[in-house]
Amino acid sequence: MTGVGRIVIMAEMHGRDLVRRHIALGLLVALPLSFYLASAGKGRQSLPAGGVGMAFAVGGAALFSALSSLAVDQRLVLAGYRPIELLLGRLMFLGPLGIVIAGLFTALMTALSDPASPAALLLGLVVVAVQAVPFGLAVAALVPRELEGTLLLIGVVGVQLAVGPEAVVAKLLPFYGPRRIIDIGVSGHGSVWGPLGQTALYAIGLFVIARVFVGARLSVRRHGPTDGD
Amino acid sequence: MPAVTHRELVVSGVSKAYGRTPILDNVDLTVDAGEIVALTGENGAGKSTLLRICAGLLRADRGRVLVGNRIGYCPQEPALFELLTCDEHLMMFGRGVGLSRSEALDRGHALLAEFDFPIDRQVVTADMSGGTRQKLNLALAMLNDPGLLLLDEPYQGFDRGTYANFWDHCQRWREQGRAIVVVTHMLAELTRVDRVVELPAHPSHRGRH
Repeated sequence: MTGVGRIVIMAEMHGRDLVRRHIALGLLVALPLSFYLASAGKGRQSLPAGGVGMAFAVGGAALFSALSSLAVDQRLVLAGYRPIELLLGRLMFLGPLGIVIAGLFTALMTALSDPASPAALLLGLVVVAVQAVPFGLAVAALVPRELEGTLLLIGVVGVQLAVGPEAVVAKLLPFYGPRRIIDIGVSGHGSVWGPLGQTALYAIGLFVIARVFVGARLSVRRHGPTDGD
Repeated sequence: MPAVTHRELVVSGVSKAYGRTPILDNVDLTVDAGEIVALTGENGAGKSTLLRICAGLLRADRGRVLVGNRIGYCPQEPALFELLTCDEHLMMFGRGVGLSRSEALDRGHALLAEFDFPIDRQVVTADMSGGTRQKLNLALAMLNDPGLLLLDEPYQGFDRGTYANFWDHCQRWREQGRAIVVVTHMLAELTRVDRVVELPAHPSHRGRH
């Protein structure tokens, strides 16, 4: 119960912090919107672009949330938090936030681009958002600073956008599964279960990477006791 | 019957290097309950490094650290969330040390009142003065009622009155039986501590005098 309480308060505080960042909050919506609108002339093919924009936005928010507060995080661990509680607190806030954004975008895209399966599109965008959080947290755990993390994020998501869905490299990247689900939303053909399972496995793997490296980075050594005199 | 002395901190043979640069070389330090020890030394002598090792935030290359009680660590640079308020910090850190929200606020407000913290606690830390941030930083270190206080120049940004009060607080904490290690460059205040431990200069500075 205490652990749950710590996770909940971390999620709450990250929420309070982010809602005071009005520009960042606006960009969280504007970035995927700009990706989508920039390719709106391509008809339904603009839908995957919107998904990629969401991956950038939500993944970037997770990345900066983790990397900008390393010093505070270590102090929180010293105060009694476990590193996984800090990660789960971020996941608990950013995941639902991403789902809300995904819902709004599905409504917009359905109205403007007429996807064959709006339900699959919604699922695809939700999965992008949920996948982007552990992805951002894993990248943050692997690099020392924001610049390196941002470049890595741009690299991975950019390659995902640049290569075709049938390329071998595309199948190795974290947003391949969500991309396939969005494609199913566009065409209305195919089963979402395979890509959904693949995405879930990838998300778990990313979260484990984040846990291992954040644990090492934030570890606090508990000293032995003095003998009293 | 001799008085029993309770050791709150024992540092034995601690060494630390960053890459090939040695910072601490075989350092020993003991601090008893009810004692104030000032840690001094030139820039780069390893004062903050030693405190971070004692707090458990940094691993020593060699040597051993033992502690007698809960640690309160106040870093030199306040580690705070820029867009959270004082109360939000108290609730978050309080939860870490096992306090409910109301307990954390009660204890935190009592501590902040001692430091003459401004009444408006709904200001985010980014809008606080340096001294006010440092008061919050210090209160967060005290939130778990520590037996051992590790304070790394905790008075940065304090005005003259608050600075004088800080040393009065140190005396009171000592009377409460806490052990206090303060990193300081303020030679005028060294009469207010029980012992001064000077770390040798960084190897690259040695032999200059």
